[in-house]
Amino acid sequence: MSPALEIKNLTHCYQPGTPMEVAAIKDANITIEKGEIVGIIGHTGSGKSTLISHFNGLLKPTKGTVLVDGTDIWSSKEALRNSRFKVGLCFQYPEYQLFEDTVFKDIAFGPKNMKLPSDEIKRRVLEASKLAGVKPEMLEKSPFDLSGGEKRRVAIAGIMAMEPEVLVFDEPSAGLDPKGRRDLNNLIKAYHKKTGSTVIIVSHSMEDIAKLVDRIIVVNKAAIAMDGTVSEVFSRSEELKSMGLNVPEITEVFARLKAMGYDVPLDVYTVEYGADRLRELLGKGVGK
Amino acid sequence: MIKDITFGQYYPGKSLLHRMDPRMKLVLTFFLIVVLFVSKNFFALCLVSLITLIASLLSSVPQKMMLKSIKPVLIILLFTAALNIFYTKGGATYLEWGKLVITEKGVNTAIFTIIRIVTLVVLSSLLTYTTTPTMLTDGLERLLSPLKILHIKVDTLAMMMTLALRFIPTLIEEIERIMNAQKARGADLETGNLIERAKALIPIFVPLMVSSFRRAYELAFAMTCRCYTGGDGRTRMKQMKLSLRDFICLFVCLAVLAGVILLNIKFGSIFEV
Repeated sequence: MSPALEIKNLTHCYQPGTPMEVAAIKDANITIEKGEIVGIIGHTGSGKSTLISHFNGLLKPTKGTVLVDGTDIWSSKEALRNSRFKVGLCFQYPEYQLFEDTVFKDIAFGPKNMKLPSDEIKRRVLEASKLAGVKPEMLEKSPFDLSGGEKRRVAIAGIMAMEPEVLVFDEPSAGLDPKGRRDLNNLIKAYHKKTGSTVIIVSHSMEDIAKLVDRIIVVNKAAIAMDGTVSEVFSRSEELKSMGLNVPEITEVFARLKAMGYDVPLDVYTVEYGADRLRELLGKGVGK
Repeated sequence: MIKDITFGQYYPGKSLLHRMDPRMKLVLTFFLIVVLFVSKNFFALCLVSLITLIASLLSSVPQKMMLKSIKPVLIILLFTAALNIFYTKGGATYLEWGKLVITEKGVNTAIFTIIRIVTLVVLSSLLTYTTTPTMLTDGLERLLSPLKILHIKVDTLAMMMTLALRFIPTLIEEIERIMNAQKARGADLETGNLIERAKALIPIFVPLMVSSFRRAYELAFAMTCRCYTGGDGRTRMKQMKLSLRDFICLFVCLAVLAGVILLNIKFGSIFEV
C-alpha cells in the first residue's frame, strides 16, 4: 500500500533566478501513511505554509516530487486536479472563503467541482455538515448571517464534503474562544476516528498539538528539523526553545517538579494525564 | 504572479528630485509632457529627451528600474511604430514589397513617436519613483485646493486616494489567499470559455467584496477613534515649502520650453511635407 502523502527532496524558491531568490523550503522529505494524524509546528515564517501548499499542488516545487497515493501530482493535468480532491486544504480563517447564498450551496461547492451526481452531492453535504457540527436548520440560511464559529464550521464542512483522503488544517482554531477551540479539537478528533482518513494539523498551540496528534514534524528555517512521536519531539525541549517554539506548559511543570527532586514522569503532554500522575503521587504520599 | 505588479513604485533616495516639492514636481512633469508634444522636430524632441535623461541620472534611481518601467508599454511602442512605418508615406522609398511600402517619412515618424513615448514614460515614472504616494496625493491636494471655492471637498478626495493606494497591496494579498482557498476546493479558474471563466470569478469576487467592506468599516471606525472629522482645521506634519532648488528646476523647464519653440521655428515640423 502506498503512503497517503510522500514528499521527496522538496525545495521551493520564491522568485528564482533573481537576486531576491529565497528558499522557503529546502530539501524536505516526509512520508505520511494512511490514517495517521500528524502535527506540523514551526515558528512564523519557518516555511510551514509553503510546505502545505505543495500537498495539493497550489505551489509547484522548484525541485523534488510530491506523491499523493503513489501518484506524482505534477505528472499530468488529471493528476494535479485529482490531488485537489484527494488532499483537502483548510486554510487559516477559512470562513473568509464563503460566498454562496445558502450554507448548503457553499458546502456543495467542492463536490460540485468534482462533477458528482446531485444525489451524491446532497448525501455528502449532509454527511459533512454532521461531521463539522453544522446544524441542519442552518443549511438554508445565508452563511453571512452566521456567527464566526458557525461560519468556520461551515467552511470546514465545505472541505470535508469533498471526502479527501488527507485533510490538512492550517491553524484551525486561530481566533476562537476557549470553548470554540475545545469544540473544534473534539471535532477534528471525531472526524479522524470516524472516517479513518489522514489528518495533518498545522498549529502554534503546543497544547492542541499534544492533545490531537500522534506524530509531530517540526519545521525550522525552511527545513524539517525534527520528525517523530509526540514524546520524542517534546523531550527535546531545549532545541524547541532555540527555534522559538515550546513544549506544552504541563510538560514544563513536570520537568520543574523533576528538577526539584520529585519522582514524576517526564512524558506528560496533556493536563488530564498530568493530573492523574499527580493524584497517584499524592496517594503514595509525597516523598523526595 | 499578481504580486509582481509594482504600484506606488517609490524608490527611496535623497537626490535633488527626491527633495523637490511634490507640487513643483507634479506641475513640472505635466509641463514637460506638454512641451514634449509641442516639439515638432528631432532637435526639439531631443532637447526634451536630453533634459529627461539628465533628470533620470540625477534621480539616483537605477537605470535598470527605469528600463523596467518601459517594459509594459513595449507592445504599444512596437504597435505604433509599425503603424507609423507602414501608413505614413512621403519622401524617398526605402522598400517596396507588394502592398508594404516603407518610406523615409514613415521611418522618421516611427522613430519620432518611439522617442516621444519613451520620454513620456520615463518622465512620469521619474515622478512616481521619486515621490511617495502619500507625498503625491498631498501635493495634488494642495494644487487642487483652489477648487474649495466651488465647494469640492478636495481634502476628502485626497484622503480617499491615499487610502486607495494604501490598500492595493493588501487587496492583492487577499485575492491570492481567496484564490488559493477556492482552488483547494477544486475551483477551476484556468479553463473554459469566456462565460464560464467569468462565472468562476464569483467565488473569488464575493468574499473579496465582503472582506473589503469589513476592512472599510474597521478603518472608518479606527479613523473616528482618532478624531478624524474631515479636512477642516487639520494641520500637517510635513509642511510643503518651495525652496531655491524648486525655482531652479522651474527655470530650467522654462528654458527648455523656450528652446523647443526656437528649434520648432528654425527647423520646422517633420510632419509637414
